[in-house]
Amino acid sequence: MDDIKNPTSLINKDYETINLVTFEEWIEDNGELSRLGVGIILEPSDDVSLIKDSLDSIELIALDFRNFDDGRSYSQAYLLSKRWHFRGEIIGINAHLDQLQFMIRSGITRYQLLESYSGFNEEDYANGFSICYQAAANNHGLNLKY
Amino acid sequence: MYQYNAEDKQFLVERVDQFEKQLRRHLSGELDEAKFRSLRLRNGLYMELHAHMLRIAIPYGILSSAQLRALADVADKYDRGFGHFTTRQNIQFNWIQLPEIANLLRDLTAAGLHAIQTSGKATRNITADPLSGLTEGEIEDARPYCELIRRWFNLHPEFSWLPGKFKIAINGAKLDETALRIHDLGLRLVRNEKGELGFSVFVGGGLGAAAMVAAETASFVPVADILSYLESSLRIYNLKGRRDHQKKLRIKFLVRELGAAEFSRLVDEDWQQTKDDPELKLNLNELESLKKDFALPIEPISLDGFKETVDFNYSIWKKNNVRSHKVSGHSIVNISLTKLGAPPGDATSEQMRILAKLADQFSSGEIRTTKRQTIVFPFVRKDQIFNLWKSLEQYGLASPHQGTLAQIVSCPGRDYCDLAKAVSIPIATRVQERFNDMNKLLDIGDLNINISGCENSCAHHHIADIGLLGMQKNGEEYYQITLAGETLNETNIGKKLGPSVSGETIVDAVEDIVNVYIANRQQEEKFTDVFKRIGITPFKEKVYG
Repeated sequence: MDDIKNPTSLINKDYETINLVTFEEWIEDNGELSRLGVGIILEPSDDVSLIKDSLDSIELIALDFRNFDDGRSYSQAYLLSKRWHFRGEIIGINAHLDQLQFMIRSGITRYQLLESYSGFNEEDYANGFSICYQAAANNHGLNLKY
Repeated sequence: MYQYNAEDKQFLVERVDQFEKQLRRHLSGELDEAKFRSLRLRNGLYMELHAHMLRIAIPYGILSSAQLRALADVADKYDRGFGHFTTRQNIQFNWIQLPEIANLLRDLTAAGLHAIQTSGKATRNITADPLSGLTEGEIEDARPYCELIRRWFNLHPEFSWLPGKFKIAINGAKLDETALRIHDLGLRLVRNEKGELGFSVFVGGGLGAAAMVAAETASFVPVADILSYLESSLRIYNLKGRRDHQKKLRIKFLVRELGAAEFSRLVDEDWQQTKDDPELKLNLNELESLKKDFALPIEPISLDGFKETVDFNYSIWKKNNVRSHKVSGHSIVNISLTKLGAPPGDATSEQMRILAKLADQFSSGEIRTTKRQTIVFPFVRKDQIFNLWKSLEQYGLASPHQGTLAQIVSCPGRDYCDLAKAVSIPIATRVQERFNDMNKLLDIGDLNINISGCENSCAHHHIADIGLLGMQKNGEEYYQITLAGETLNETNIGKKLGPSVSGETIVDAVEDIVNVYIANRQQEEKFTDVFKRIGITPFKEKVYG
């Protein structure tokens, strides 16, 4: 498969594999799932505010950036990171090279590029610009690669 | 005048480096067309009918003479020797070749110019009043705020992939030269009862197929809090704006669907959580520093004993093209680029260099652009106006049409644009030919005609006294007429007159409308006032009767 569109698990920064559930699955059964320490995949259309009271019981949140022109995931990342101080990983999945700097500054802590970008020098793109005019969730050009 | 510093220029260089890499990947097949389109639009680059079109930002409509020369060089080196000043105060070049784009952009960075976010689904260059800082009675000079807000939205990480394009206008004067309520977001500088400065915020305006006037979402946002308020407005739009329907992407559709009160409530709810964030406060020290950078380069002068030259042509030009300045001994001079048969807003590289030279000589090296596609010299000494006019006349730039019907605003139309349904420029030319008697033009007075070649409304036909919109009917070009649009004192979208009129008879219809106006006008009454008093029927009867 060219691109990983629907991962069922991701590895967190402690290199533990975390099982992923969809936003719908979480909404349906968050009582049980929160005990298992799962991660949630959020689509751009999912209402991120519905999980803000459960963030302590979520290990990891994967935001899906597959649709290049859909900017909602950037606001989801900002809200999770800056406003609600989510302490787990915020992983940008299905990420595009040319958007890494925007993702990272919006609060993504790790990313997983679409496979079609293998072979490119990610650092060039993830580090972004030496000048950031505005405050954001994270103004440092992080270079954390999933 | 204010110039970008070393950091700003470094930012521009890095942006060109980035785009150059993307372009290289695209040309070698490593970046697909859809993604490249999204990226190139954010760098102002369009694929047009015959070549690539590049739109370059003129930040809030202000250029130095050196920048205008740099644009003239671009016209010669990369285009066919001319550029097109747009209705959003920017400049476009229509004959750019893709492989040359990075060199072109690099040339511009040296002059502090760029094409960042002049297109695409992101926040665009701010529209400002070309008379900012120049006229009596202004609430506040908007230019420093324009620059601080420009910095805030350039490559904003959260808001660079919005549902649709996002246009901001900022006005600090009592009259609204920016047409802010037809923008996605309009900011009006106001003072509250305590005399403190802030902004009234209007959201959801726009032209196009569904023209709407923006609703007020906040009556007073303190100056220091404007960035956090803008962020909240854009966050609600980014998260809730329509992305499912190509024709409903703009924020006006979200505001209409939610209702302005609900939209405003959502923004306010979000804003309450960020308004005290120190990182989002407008930097008031930087604001003060910018105010110094934007200080006017002239001092009041006394011209006792100065006698204006008596010359018939000069006096007509002066009446139409010169406005009073708040600094004594000075005037504001408006220069029309409109020539019969030439596209409105077009300027050759030679004209640009002449204007740059004259700006150095007569206007402290500063030039401003307007939404009527004209050029403003903001700092002309009163005793030099005649000399300026003589020079302009020598170069064919002394058209006395400013403020008359002949100063037509038009998009490039079907002659140049692949979106257009009908021609615009030839219609403008025929109207100008019909009204080529200066006495008649002076008698008609201040009357705007704007012609758009399609519903994208680049020529802002909805807000003109007489607006023409090109369309196709059974393979032929027709024009829908709207009347009495306005933005200066209040904002009203023009009313549709009736069925569209064929290209063949459209100029007759325009003449009929003008004649109804003249016949019903009382003293100095404006077109919109006559329309409000007598209604649409007399115009209808004359055109369709």
